[in-house]
Amino acid sequence: MSGSRRHKLVDMALSGSVESSSAAISRTKTLGRLRSGDALFHHLTRAAAILVLIILSGVIVALIKGSLPALQAFGFNFLIEERWNPVTEKFGAVAPIYGTLVTSLIAMLIAVPLGLLIALFLTELCPMWLRRPIGIAIELLAGIPSIIYGIWGLFVFAPFLQRNLQPALIDWFENVPVLSSLFEGPPYGIGILTASLILAIMVLPFITSISRDVFEAVPPVLKEAAYGVGCTTWEVVRYVVLPFARVGVIGGIMLGLGRALGETMAVTFVIGNAHKVSASILAPGTTISATIANEFTEAVGDLYTSSLIALGLILFVITFIVLAAARYLLMRLEKRVG
Amino acid sequence: MNSMAGISNATQPPVPTVVGRASEAAGKTAEKILIRNLNFYYGDNKALKSINVPLYDRKVTAFIGPSGCGKSTLLRILNRIYGLYPHQRAEGEVLLDGKNILDPGQDLNLLRARVGMVFQKPTPFPMSIYENIAFGVRLFENLPRADIDERVQSALRRAAIWDEVKDKLRANGLSLSGGQQQRLCIARTVALKPEVILLDEPCSALDPISTAKIEELIDELKDDYTIAIVTHNMQQAARVSDHTAFMYLGELVEFDTTSKMFTTPSDRRTQDYITGRFG
Amino acid sequence: MDRYRRRRLRNSVVIALSIGATAIGLGWLVLILGTLVYEGLSGLSPAVFTEMTPPPGAAGGLLNPIIGSLMLTILAVAIGTPVGILAGTYMAEYGKYAKLTTVVRFINDILLSAPSIVVGLFVYEILVAPMGHFSGWAGAVALALIVIPVVVRTTEDMLSLLPKELRESATALGMPRAQVIRHVAYRAARAGMITGVLLAIARISGETAPLLFTALNNQFFSSNLNAPISSLPVVIFQFALSPYADWQKLAWIGALIITFAVLALSITARALSASGKSS
Repeated sequence: MSGSRRHKLVDMALSGSVESSSAAISRTKTLGRLRSGDALFHHLTRAAAILVLIILSGVIVALIKGSLPALQAFGFNFLIEERWNPVTEKFGAVAPIYGTLVTSLIAMLIAVPLGLLIALFLTELCPMWLRRPIGIAIELLAGIPSIIYGIWGLFVFAPFLQRNLQPALIDWFENVPVLSSLFEGPPYGIGILTASLILAIMVLPFITSISRDVFEAVPPVLKEAAYGVGCTTWEVVRYVVLPFARVGVIGGIMLGLGRALGETMAVTFVIGNAHKVSASILAPGTTISATIANEFTEAVGDLYTSSLIALGLILFVITFIVLAAARYLLMRLEKRVG
Repeated sequence: MNSMAGISNATQPPVPTVVGRASEAAGKTAEKILIRNLNFYYGDNKALKSINVPLYDRKVTAFIGPSGCGKSTLLRILNRIYGLYPHQRAEGEVLLDGKNILDPGQDLNLLRARVGMVFQKPTPFPMSIYENIAFGVRLFENLPRADIDERVQSALRRAAIWDEVKDKLRANGLSLSGGQQQRLCIARTVALKPEVILLDEPCSALDPISTAKIEELIDELKDDYTIAIVTHNMQQAARVSDHTAFMYLGELVEFDTTSKMFTTPSDRRTQDYITGRFG
Repeated sequence: MDRYRRRRLRNSVVIALSIGATAIGLGWLVLILGTLVYEGLSGLSPAVFTEMTPPPGAAGGLLNPIIGSLMLTILAVAIGTPVGILAGTYMAEYGKYAKLTTVVRFINDILLSAPSIVVGLFVYEILVAPMGHFSGWAGAVALALIVIPVVVRTTEDMLSLLPKELRESATALGMPRAQVIRHVAYRAARAGMITGVLLAIARISGETAPLLFTALNNQFFSSNLNAPISSLPVVIFQFALSPYADWQKLAWIGALIITFAVLALSITARALSASGKSS
């Protein structure tokens, strides 16, 4: 401290400025006060940033710690065992994992093409005055909490499917080899297909808005050049927009997949909660998040609770991998575009 | 390549120098700032090479040269604002009243209170016009309300904008026109009673009328402040400055009084630039 | 069919498909919102806001879940917003070029999209299990962990959008870093940062999974945060899955209330960010 104080005095002596020395000293005092506040603020913000890291590590550590009893009891078999019996305390994760993967897969198969098509419409075909309203509508859909989708699915969609779509599907595929087992069974209304459809509706606005943002980022000159050569709208999209937007779209799709995998409420209501793996997608099943949501508060016994937490760990690992890959892709995109 | 051909050895002071207003009375043109052997690096890229140039007390010194010659870089060293960014470093000496401001012990906030800067893009703070000025003042001094009012008014007068805003001091600074915003920024700088004012292309974002007003302002300000102005407009440099430095590719090519520089420049490159041969 | 006609046909097919897709997408919105309004509105009455949740077969309202949700939301925002803003500030200001920032940004984006049920499990492990009972505090912490990544992201984005000249001109006045951030940067980015908080609130308003095993549920009106506390999403979950018609009705009404709140917040956030851009 004395060094800089000496500097200040020398400063004042040499400058010969018209300013009185008392003003200079009060200047120094005020600044000194502000500066110690500066260091404090700096450390505070850095601590908050580190806290984010701690949260993530905390989640991983807590999940592992909670799953240990189950992992120790079942080992690797946990991943291949289908039985889920609280009474005999034999738990296997196959049905929930299968349900999570299948519902997400079907949901993406439906939502991605639809989402891309809507994005295409919004960026190329839609008249200007309609763009904002539709865009807002999409964001409204994205903002609706998932529990709303859940109860809508339970009270409206499932009965509808039960009465109309499912009997039709069963009839159509009855005599088709191979596929008939996909669409077999009594029309429960709820089940894997219903959950997948609800999930698709949930993920759709997300994919749409990311795709639309990426499509809009394509420089107009590129599209104009293609139109100028006589390309049709579809050809411009296929040969100019999509290749340019490819990485962003893939990143968006993977983000949507991450969401779908972890979705709880939209699925829990309509999946049927059966710990079984069936070939038919009309049958009830379960997902990881639905299992946890339905059974956690009633789980009696450490092994039961621990198995549920182990499921949570598996879900977290799966979504982490998907999300990390998506972020990595999007980071590469940002580097390229600059 | 240090050519200070325009300055006779008589006015080149020995090192280190203690200067002040007193020496002006002795008849010499005092140096407020002396830049010695200054090198500057962006990462590994050497952007300024061995710059040696004085800034005379209460005179206007203009820095001209083609894009990328390093004039803005040089200006930004004088208040050490480059320090906000990593990978930028300066070597050499910049003596403000004889004391090297590149010294690690130099108090940056105090330095910037003595050496003010106005940027190319007008940047009024998102506050009222009054607050824009008062904020800086309060930073350094604990003054009663009446004194702050007086400082605000005198700063706005000094920047030749008082008449236009005196009835709307509570209005947001962003509601002013571009030229007015820039004068507000000048008022903000002047309110801190600096000794040196750095102007980094202050008029390049403004219309000709605002530009003319600001040039008039510079002429008035130089009675009390040492001014350094970077400009890509040679005519402006000729209009407002007492001394001019021509820079090219990171080097100081020529430094001289403005009248001599623009009529009989010593270096061929200066001549080519001024006559529009390149740049 | 000649080549040109084939191209045109393909184009028409794609156009038709995309229009169809848009109709389908919008159709869902109309269907879902329509059912929600139809089922929910028909049961809406003042009693909903003044009476507690009833046992099956009796009449009642949603007072305790509404109050509970409000309490949890306010608490979650109070905990999560400061952390989020501070972390976002570090990433955009002090640590802009630091390695730590790159890592935190990556991790934060993962937390942003992580399954919220996992967050619930985490809080169960660290708060509920050690404490031995469910509590409103645990629920609030779980929601705060969802608020933090949203606020971090929007704060960093909004602060990074500010022009660097704004910070430079404040620094050039001699302002220490913290002052520049708090008085200039925050003020300039204020609208965007508030938008971020509103979006975070909208997000947690509908979150059910994190509350299922933290705050649990409470049949009766209680404002004791140290015990299980009721919340709208959990009540909807419980009532909708039950076989009782009046409980199911209440579930619809609750869903309508939540959706309305979320939409109102989103519209406000959008209006704020639009007005921020225009100023």
